[in-house]
Amino acid sequence: MRVVVADDAVILREGLARLLEEAGFEVVGLAADADELYALVERCRPDVAIVDIRMPPTHTDEGLQAAKLIRSRWPETGILVLSQHVQARYAVELLSTGTERVGYLLKDRVSDLAELSASIRRIGEGAPVLDPSVVAQLVGQRRKGDNALEDLTERELEVLALMAEGRSNKAIGARLFITEHTVEKHVKNIFGTLRLPQSTDDHRRVLAVVRFLNSQ
Amino acid sequence: MRATETERRRIERDLHDGTQQRLVSIAMTLGLVESKLAKDRPAIGPILHEARDALALALEELRELTQGIRPAILVERGLAAALDDLGRRAALPVQLHVAISGRLSENVEAAAYYVASEALTNAVKHSHGSEVRLAASCDGAMLEVEVADDGIGGAGDGGGSGLRGLADRVEALGGRITVSSPAGRGTTLRAEIPCG
Repeated sequence: MRVVVADDAVILREGLARLLEEAGFEVVGLAADADELYALVERCRPDVAIVDIRMPPTHTDEGLQAAKLIRSRWPETGILVLSQHVQARYAVELLSTGTERVGYLLKDRVSDLAELSASIRRIGEGAPVLDPSVVAQLVGQRRKGDNALEDLTERELEVLALMAEGRSNKAIGARLFITEHTVEKHVKNIFGTLRLPQSTDDHRRVLAVVRFLNSQ
Repeated sequence: MRATETERRRIERDLHDGTQQRLVSIAMTLGLVESKLAKDRPAIGPILHEARDALALALEELRELTQGIRPAILVERGLAAALDDLGRRAALPVQLHVAISGRLSENVEAAAYYVASEALTNAVKHSHGSEVRLAASCDGAMLEVEVADDGIGGAGDGGGSGLRGLADRVEALGGRITVSSPAGRGTTLRAEIPCG
């Protein structure tokens, strides 16, 4: 899989490149800011661009803006946004431009190369990936009394969280040591309880769940 | 006061661009070591895992620290988004009415944010109320932030030592804070800060 890395800090950009090569990715280019990144994506058409959220000139959310622009201009390129702080609202914004080939992870996740490369591969193959802490934030915001989450069982909440991270029924089953069929039943209950439109499409249901969790 | 905010900003940037990045870089190196060695030397696995866990904890603590100095959302998105975030995270339901477009000066944004944050904390801790209204608007010349709860009222003058410090900060920017807290009728804190 071909990837590019954009981060204004040299040690992180090159460190990440080395790490990804070790994991079997072909790193076809490095960028230090959004403009370099656009040029790189235009020229190399990578499968996935891995982008730090804070980049020059203002060091605020350039990476997120870049991600949105890349999604509209080069939709076949996947995007993984990395951030030292996770904000649920960024995840919601990112997903609102479409749930395919997009991910948002805490930068710390680079220490687990196996998990990181699995995430990048999932994005390259078209799936969404969300950091568990985003989901925890969203669930935390919702759990303030009178809302539908109270009607879910502990198990259903676990399934909901994994669903929001972008995992398939099969992956959820493996994680929780239950069968795929049982997961399907939980998912059905969750969608019924939360009055969400049923969707068998893994990608679209991430958006449905995240939108629900984010609404107040 | 201005110097304090500049200092906060500097510390936050140093931590974000310096210490945090170095820790993430170490995390990458560990990931690399694990990938190269763990298969052939299984005894290394648990040791690396230990190092990784300690590092994850250090990053987590650093994140909380920088969050306290200058919240990432305030730096990245400005006051409206930061207030929205504050409201969503509060332990009481918060009705948000924020009408601010674009960015204000860093000092004004920070002062307003900490006023709202402190007032919300006070409402959660002391008001015995069930709901808080957080309103903020800026007409181009004056930023107004109001935090009102439906609790027991009767808060003392100035509403606590935390607020005293913030009042100084707001006054240094040419603004003022007023607190109204009649017994039985909730507490309303209002800050006006010039933002032109």
